[in-house]
Amino acid sequence: MAVKGIKSKDRHILNLANIVGDARSIIYHKEDLIAYDCDGFTLHKHLPKAVVFPNNTDDVAALVKYCSDNQLPFLARGAGTGLSGGAIPLNGEVIISMVRMKKLLSVDFENRRAVVQPGFVNLKLTNSIADKGYYYAPDPSSQYCCTIGGNVAENAGGAHCLKYGVTTNHILGLEVVLPNGEIVEIGANGIPDAPGYDLLGLLTGSEGTLGIVTKITVRILKNPEAKKTVLAYFDKVEDGSQAVSDIISAGIVPAALEMMDKIAIEGVEAAAFPVGHPKDIEAFLLIEVDGIEAGLDEQINNIMEVCKKRNVREVRAAETEEERARWWANRKTGFGAMGAISPDYLVQDGVIPRSRLPEVLNNINNISQEYGLRIANIFHAGDGNLHPLVLFDARIPGQREAALEAGSACLQACADVGGTITGEHGVGVEKREEMRFVFTDEEIIAQTDIREVFNPFNLLNAGKLFPTPGRCVEIKRELKEKETAIS
Amino acid sequence: MSVTEIDLKRDPACTTGLSNYLAKDHPDENKWADCVHCGMCLESCPTYEITGQEQHSPRGRVHLIKSVAEGKLNVNEFFMDPIFACLDCRACTTACPADVEVGGLIEEARGQVRQAMPLTGLKGTVSKMFLQGLFPHHNRLNSLGGLLRFYQKSGMQKVVRKTKLINIMPQHLVDMEAIMPEVKEPVRKKYKNTDVIKAKGQTKNEVAMLTGCVMDVMFSDINEATINVLTRNGNDVTIPKNQTCCGALHVHAGDRDTGRKLAKQNIEAFKDSEKVIVNAAGCGCALKEYPELFRDDAEWYKKAEEFSAKIEDISKYLYDTGYEKPKAELNTRITYHDACHLAHGQGIRHEPRDLLLNIPGVEMVHMPNSDRCCGSAGIYNITNPEMASAVLESKMQNVPEDVEMISMGNPGCMLQMAMGVQKHGRNQKIVHTVQLLDWAYQKEDGKEVL
Amino acid sequence: MITAELLSEVKALIQEDRIVEGENDHLLGNNGLVKVYPQTEEEISAILKYANENGKKVFVEGNGTKRGFGGLSESADILLSLADYKGIVEHVVGDMTLTVKAGTNFKKLQDYLAEHKQKISLDPFHPEAATIGGIVSSNDSGPKRLGYGSSRDVVIGLRIVYPDGKVIRSGGRVVKNVAGYDMNKLFIGSMGTLGVFSEVTVKLRPLPKYESLILLFFPQGNMEEIKAFAQKLLDSTMEPVTLELLSPALSEGLTGQSCYTLAIGLEDVETSVQYQENFIKSIQPENTNMKILTLTDAQAFWNQFYSLHSLESESLITSASLKIGVVNMDVTQVMKESQLLGDSHHLEVQAHGGLGHGLCQVNLKGSKEDVVSAIQQMRETVAGLGGYVVIKHLPFALRQEVDTWGPKPAHFFLLEGIKSKVDPNKVLNPKRFVGGI
Repeated sequence: MAVKGIKSKDRHILNLANIVGDARSIIYHKEDLIAYDCDGFTLHKHLPKAVVFPNNTDDVAALVKYCSDNQLPFLARGAGTGLSGGAIPLNGEVIISMVRMKKLLSVDFENRRAVVQPGFVNLKLTNSIADKGYYYAPDPSSQYCCTIGGNVAENAGGAHCLKYGVTTNHILGLEVVLPNGEIVEIGANGIPDAPGYDLLGLLTGSEGTLGIVTKITVRILKNPEAKKTVLAYFDKVEDGSQAVSDIISAGIVPAALEMMDKIAIEGVEAAAFPVGHPKDIEAFLLIEVDGIEAGLDEQINNIMEVCKKRNVREVRAAETEEERARWWANRKTGFGAMGAISPDYLVQDGVIPRSRLPEVLNNINNISQEYGLRIANIFHAGDGNLHPLVLFDARIPGQREAALEAGSACLQACADVGGTITGEHGVGVEKREEMRFVFTDEEIIAQTDIREVFNPFNLLNAGKLFPTPGRCVEIKRELKEKETAIS
Repeated sequence: MSVTEIDLKRDPACTTGLSNYLAKDHPDENKWADCVHCGMCLESCPTYEITGQEQHSPRGRVHLIKSVAEGKLNVNEFFMDPIFACLDCRACTTACPADVEVGGLIEEARGQVRQAMPLTGLKGTVSKMFLQGLFPHHNRLNSLGGLLRFYQKSGMQKVVRKTKLINIMPQHLVDMEAIMPEVKEPVRKKYKNTDVIKAKGQTKNEVAMLTGCVMDVMFSDINEATINVLTRNGNDVTIPKNQTCCGALHVHAGDRDTGRKLAKQNIEAFKDSEKVIVNAAGCGCALKEYPELFRDDAEWYKKAEEFSAKIEDISKYLYDTGYEKPKAELNTRITYHDACHLAHGQGIRHEPRDLLLNIPGVEMVHMPNSDRCCGSAGIYNITNPEMASAVLESKMQNVPEDVEMISMGNPGCMLQMAMGVQKHGRNQKIVHTVQLLDWAYQKEDGKEVL
Repeated sequence: MITAELLSEVKALIQEDRIVEGENDHLLGNNGLVKVYPQTEEEISAILKYANENGKKVFVEGNGTKRGFGGLSESADILLSLADYKGIVEHVVGDMTLTVKAGTNFKKLQDYLAEHKQKISLDPFHPEAATIGGIVSSNDSGPKRLGYGSSRDVVIGLRIVYPDGKVIRSGGRVVKNVAGYDMNKLFIGSMGTLGVFSEVTVKLRPLPKYESLILLFFPQGNMEEIKAFAQKLLDSTMEPVTLELLSPALSEGLTGQSCYTLAIGLEDVETSVQYQENFIKSIQPENTNMKILTLTDAQAFWNQFYSLHSLESESLITSASLKIGVVNMDVTQVMKESQLLGDSHHLEVQAHGGLGHGLCQVNLKGSKEDVVSAIQQMRETVAGLGGYVVIKHLPFALRQEVDTWGPKPAHFFLLEGIKSKVDPNKVLNPKRFVGGI
């Protein structure tokens, strides 16, 4: 039976529409689909075949089974805020949008856990339990709109993961639709260490290539008794980054330890949430400690001392909650704010051993000069997670390619000091080739072997995460061609 | 491919080789260049909340608008749908880290759609009737007001309701009918022969007032209250004769030519005024954005800029210039709804709250997501009733139950919220912020109010 | 003989003085016909490659503290001990990261790190004997998991020798990393069935500046009271690193008082710890007693705690140790049940469980029939609570009667699929893991 309002002759569209049941739960016109041709990573675009909007796990399972039976490539998408292109339909996938599965299913304060559907927005969880004094710890900058399902797929981090860990440290259970349509439950009842290999850990951060998460049990935490936030302005980037190393090696575990350099400051000050940072500083640190109030002053004093030793120009603590919130809004909207000083940007996500910060920042500066592109730095300095933002204008011929290369060079610089190519944004489409900076062919095959167990026909989110072994050069060429075709 | 697609690819009027827009008044490239597709706008968007579909989200719409300019899409009905489903509530502008002017882009894109595909059918008729046949003509509005007054006063309303005649009206008209405010005499009519309404006591400032089109017919009591409050605080008030509808609704609907015509008329009408006071957020926002309409016309652009600098919302004007704090107690529990075009459009949030909290006896209950659109959005609730009602439903979930009044600064919202209250069987009174202040003054003067 | 042939073949792979003949009929099983002590990664790789190509089976051990944990074959061809594969590969003090060889002794590591005011924030059992590789491989954790998490929160990188001899790295040396699949997780707790750990990289934490341990005794043993108190504490903003409920028998051994006891650990700067002590005093329930141990006294308590369960194998008395996972507050149910089982089965029972994380350990001693029956009964009870029982320690013979891991999960085919991809010839620790993997 055909669904009312569907004007398509494509039998797959008709059949998919039948599964979701109504015309509002599927889109298939080019004009609508174009909104889905990329996610937060915009350098690569491709139209999906259709986007379907399931309402429950059974819908998802039926859709997946249909795609699997008919050899249609497919992938799951949340809010599409990913920064590495994990939700881009490279192969004209059927996109299974999870945003209508957005319920908070239950909260169990006694046992400190909550069960959500994957489309539930990260910050809404904290907002829903805040009145009881609880929160959900992973706080990616996009937490206002990103979904927890997407967070699981990408193993999202955030400013406060320095102390509290990333998404994987907060996931207790998952209901997953496997690429053949089978529904499995992992980590039943949210009890830790269930017998068997740790599939929870494996699935978290698998970038939607092993299964589609349809229900998530997360750990919730009690709000810390108190928070103190400090802002420290530095005249030299080196001093700022030395202060970061010093704070960590002094045995302080801040809840967050963020850094922004001069260009980044220029961006946020020109955008929607300016703080009024001095224009002539080279860098600032935003440091937050939390915990038992009685112990915080000691920590703050230690931090201030460290900063002073490193020639801080000014260091002060937030006086009101409003001031603290303003500092954070300024920091958390940092990426988007780059729009205010540059038409396009490419954000990278390297991680380095924290003690190598000054050296790597210097290298990034050299890369910036070499490619003639400005590079802003916004980063989670406390865990060595750098976000170099390569600023460019795609309308100027050659800049886009130069930006891609400069970004890649930044990652090489991270890998060279024993770091890695992504700390929280994922590999996606963007960093497939850079996987070779950190893994051998054998190590990549070890991972694709695991994918084969779950996703044997590679219909689910194909082309993400891994370079094709031995074909690296060809792929790069193909990539370039595609990009030129798009731009 | 749809038959309605218009292939403009080789149109010599295109600005770039690729663009599928008409050259005249095309969407501004600089506006979308700031958008980096981060998605921070998604959750702020009421239509995305309801549909979950990104073509109905701010960044999706911006992406669509950009895609037409890049020659990837044509201006056709499928493009039109998401562009016209936007409530124009501007919440995305507040959420956007890069200050992308989504609202302006949408209006420009709508202008393109209307140039390329003029409205036909029922929507066309309704839209034409309201936008061109009614709002710009205050005499016709007055007649309609008269009819409404007759409808309410004559007992017709009772008859219609009693005889279940109401059951054959389309649902959204039924809903609208139920909350129609009691229509009084428009102030423009009342002060037809008065040049200046003098301040009570010493004159401190002279201000002109925009009476609004529908406002003056449906909510003349708010205009009356505005005049009372202004004159009480030392303002001489003038009501320039030639003023007309602000054109907001026309611009929202893509009829930018009429918008420009009305803008010019208002710019002229108020050219001698130093300050123009507006009590309808939607109008105020539109007046402030007049320069947007004249991007291709340097002379009028300049005039429009000068004009927009004179525009002030009544709440902000009172807050900034100082006003007499009322002394009488109103003893009421209220909540405050941020009209989109006040909060997102003009950044006015704390001023009206300040006015309200300075009235003795007023207790304010916090409304979660108070700056979420109610779904009124000009005539959106007439053109897109289904979406508007879904948005309203979501809004009503956040309106606290334990209040007597809901205060706001925009007539469109007042109608829509009244509908929400009615539908939910609540009994809250919908009031304009300035009305509450006026009542407090009146009570202080020994008059019976409320 | 097979042994002679095997011996000569193994001699080609590793120095002779690193090969010994395996012991037979160990009570806990998990023997090898030959036991080898490689000292390099190349040796480990060569041994595995040999086994993989010649149809041999390999058991892996560190220092043998988990010998009674799973395993249905009495002996493999080769028992690969990592006891001599030890030492620190890299410790970057300023980065607070540490890479060590898998056979490194845990206690020695912690002592070394303490000189730098750092620690690995794991508190496994038998730290004086256990190796880092064994701890991670069996995912062992103690009460402080509440404050600091478990291996999956601490391990940031692994070097693993695959069954075919190739060396695979997972993770890295940085504290945040999402490049590729999080393969670390796959190997943590995999009981050596997927590969042999060569090196383990962990992130470190600063040693706490001050610590104390509050022992709260509940002489009346009213579980509802205990639960109510625990909830009150957990719902406060206090940050205990342990909230471990000790059974009366266990408490008697550790504190001399035979009653249910809560061990509440506090670690922070001194002002904070004292503030928390005061808070806890302020909500101390009636009819309870409190004792506070600080610094070395607290540490001494924990040292005794981690080594309480004897690893000695006796033939007359059967000793078993269960790891039980339930929803946090159901820990009280498990404690009650173990008390009942002790009485009904004439067993010596020592039990404890974390009210903040839901993991319990129940140690049983008694006749073998009683132990087996008690385990089975405990499994039924825990199944009713939606949890699981894993047997961490049980003599080899009894492991044939009662399954170490309990029923196969519904998604077992995925576990099996992973095993057969990584170790298609079933070389490593065969039948040691869930469902006979």
